[in-house]
Amino acid sequence: MTVLQELAKLSDTLINPYMERWKKKGGKIIGYHGIYVPEEVIHAAGMLPYRLRATGSTSSELGDVYASSTTCTYCRHCLDQAMRGEYKFLDGFVSFHGCDHLSRSFDAWRYGKVPTPYSPFYLRFLDIPFKINARSVKWMQVQVERFKRSLEEHFGLTITDDALRQSIKTYNEQRKLLRSLYEMRKKEKPPVTGAEVLALVIASTSMPVEEFNEQFKKVLAEVNGRDGFKDYRARLLLVGGTLEDPEYIRTIEELGGLVVIDALCVGIRHFWDLVDEDSEPTAALAKRYLDRSISCPRMVDYERRLKFVSDLAREFNTDGIIVQRMKMCDNWGCDSAMIKRQARKEGMPCLILEREYLMSGVGQMRTRVQAFLETIRR
Amino acid sequence: MTTEKYKEQRIGYEMLKDSENPMMKGLRNWLERVFRTLDEGKPIVYNEFTFWCDTMTALDVQPLAPEMWGQVPMPAAQEPCLDAAQDFGIPPEMCWAGRYVIGATLLGDRIPPPTCIVVPTYPCDNCKAAYQVVAKLTGAPMYVLDCPYWIEDDEEAMDYWVDQYKGLLSFLEEHTGKKLDYDRLKETVEESNRFIEYWLEGKELMRRKPLPTNDMFGSPVEILTSIGLPEATQAIKNRLDDLKARVARGETAVPEEKVRVTWNYLPVLWSLVEIFDWMARELGAVTTMTIFDGTSFEPIDTSTPESIIRGMARRALHGYMARQGRGSSDIIIEDTLRAVEEYQADCIIVNGALGCKWLRGSYGYLRDICRERGIPVMMFDADICDARVVSDDEVKARIGKFIETVIERKKRGV
Repeated sequence: MTVLQELAKLSDTLINPYMERWKKKGGKIIGYHGIYVPEEVIHAAGMLPYRLRATGSTSSELGDVYASSTTCTYCRHCLDQAMRGEYKFLDGFVSFHGCDHLSRSFDAWRYGKVPTPYSPFYLRFLDIPFKINARSVKWMQVQVERFKRSLEEHFGLTITDDALRQSIKTYNEQRKLLRSLYEMRKKEKPPVTGAEVLALVIASTSMPVEEFNEQFKKVLAEVNGRDGFKDYRARLLLVGGTLEDPEYIRTIEELGGLVVIDALCVGIRHFWDLVDEDSEPTAALAKRYLDRSISCPRMVDYERRLKFVSDLAREFNTDGIIVQRMKMCDNWGCDSAMIKRQARKEGMPCLILEREYLMSGVGQMRTRVQAFLETIRR
Repeated sequence: MTTEKYKEQRIGYEMLKDSENPMMKGLRNWLERVFRTLDEGKPIVYNEFTFWCDTMTALDVQPLAPEMWGQVPMPAAQEPCLDAAQDFGIPPEMCWAGRYVIGATLLGDRIPPPTCIVVPTYPCDNCKAAYQVVAKLTGAPMYVLDCPYWIEDDEEAMDYWVDQYKGLLSFLEEHTGKKLDYDRLKETVEESNRFIEYWLEGKELMRRKPLPTNDMFGSPVEILTSIGLPEATQAIKNRLDDLKARVARGETAVPEEKVRVTWNYLPVLWSLVEIFDWMARELGAVTTMTIFDGTSFEPIDTSTPESIIRGMARRALHGYMARQGRGSSDIIIEDTLRAVEEYQADCIIVNGALGCKWLRGSYGYLRDICRERGIPVMMFDADICDARVVSDDEVKARIGKFIETVIERKKRGV
């Protein structure tokens, strides 16, 4: 098995051998949602940040007791997993006001509807601003500092500035490594598929960052040695919210649409920007986590998001854009419509695919993607 | 000329001309001001439907809450706009509010274009996301007031929120060409304090048992269109005087009050208040309150510009839906339970608007607590504005069955 394959496998399960070893050594794991929770703060506390997924969930029956039929299925499945005790390996959980669905799901944890390995369990809900300006970055810094203090108080430890600086350096290294892989995808014959990349990004959120960085250098060497993929009908930019199943991308790529770049939540939105290593750590984290090149549609900087998507499509020489949006997501409901409108104006073919958390309606999806690829002339 | 455009609203205006109902009069006066503003080529400011228009009143600029605009003459007139939004790619599961505003903008002749847009980040994703689309489509500058999630007892969070208000005033000055006069602001806020005083007095009367009237006392009309103007204060005073007169005469909502309902959410707008009237008439079930009645306010200290702005910012947090949608489920649950107590309600009914993710996401927790406390609670699926989703008959059937069980429980002394 190659190192790439080994790392990619980590996306198949909630827990993996790296995490098991971490726990065995007495390490703590803090789960979090989304892209706005500063991983460095958790890491500087000596804990493993773990981006929450609902991998392995087959139904949301239990989660539906507190979610509604109009809650997005990502949240319903995560809540279901939580209520079934599948996240018992966590030592704490951090969320934020990402959207109404996430916020209401977090209430289940607060109200004791989720079994936890100890009590009182560490829960934190970050108050992330929706705007990006000097004032909101200052407010974001307050959130980062409060988050840091809450970890210190709950777990009885100290997070020093030096520890934060070191964590920032380490995570920046991870980001640079991932970006270097993405750079290779600009080639006419990209050496890696979109499905593989998604699996690797998921792996980066599910294991100790130092070990990931070490292994990922080997992945880059392996990938560098590949001939690259040339039998594709179109180069695609895949945009959208949380997507944790590489099989989804594989389905598109089997039809000839090679995903050469993404603007996914578990993709460049997660890691693209670096933290300034020369500034005061909490200020630097606040700036980087809030003021991103491409934000989540929860944010109100829609013009910048649209421009970034447009520039990205050009930079990676894409032939078309596919936007996958989770059903019931108002944020993505609006963003996807605006992306399509912009793409149309720029003469870029664009397809919107609505989906649920679990892969379903695959036949219909294949038909639509196939028809879309046929409209693209390379 | 506006007489050639916005036909639905013009029809609505004509329909409202002879109404003596203070709320309808307020709506009519607002429409008149909007038409005049358009004819005079003056600025129109969109204020999202949970955002108070007091800042606009103080600057003497015309607010237009698109969602309220779309209710005139009746919610059914919104249907082409909802369809237009869907054709554009907006999912049908989004709240009517967002779909209407986007659709009306797309159709071009349904709503006056904005000079600028004001929208808070509460109550929900829908409003925040939809107005970004509207801003993009119209090219109008938009100011977003960024509301912290946890703000109760957090002075730093309040400072951040107050700064949003200060930014708003600068934004409105810049884009409307009006200069803020603090004396005018003080006058507006003092007028709004008087409005709130009458409103609180009315709320107190609406807690009486039996209920003096089944007509809604609280309303969004003045909050969105004219609060801070003497006409708004007069409108609520007229409602209060009518209510007092009813109480003095011993009049009640129904001859025999069988069930008192707390409806801590929006009414079903596509049937206006017909559902409430039907409940009272056919079932003896009176609606004690809606989300428009649910909150209390402190008078704003008008001694300094800082105290005024801080007071306005604080007050906005407790407006209908702003309060319940901006934070955790704690708020809607506490407010609903308090309403049950204050209004001596027998049960809770919530229309689970299909597009309302924050409300529907809280319902499971509310349901659990109500079970523990023995409070009958029901949420039925509906769309707030689109009658094509769930019909009148279906809604009445659900409510009818629920009220029957409540009556049975009361007979058994449960």
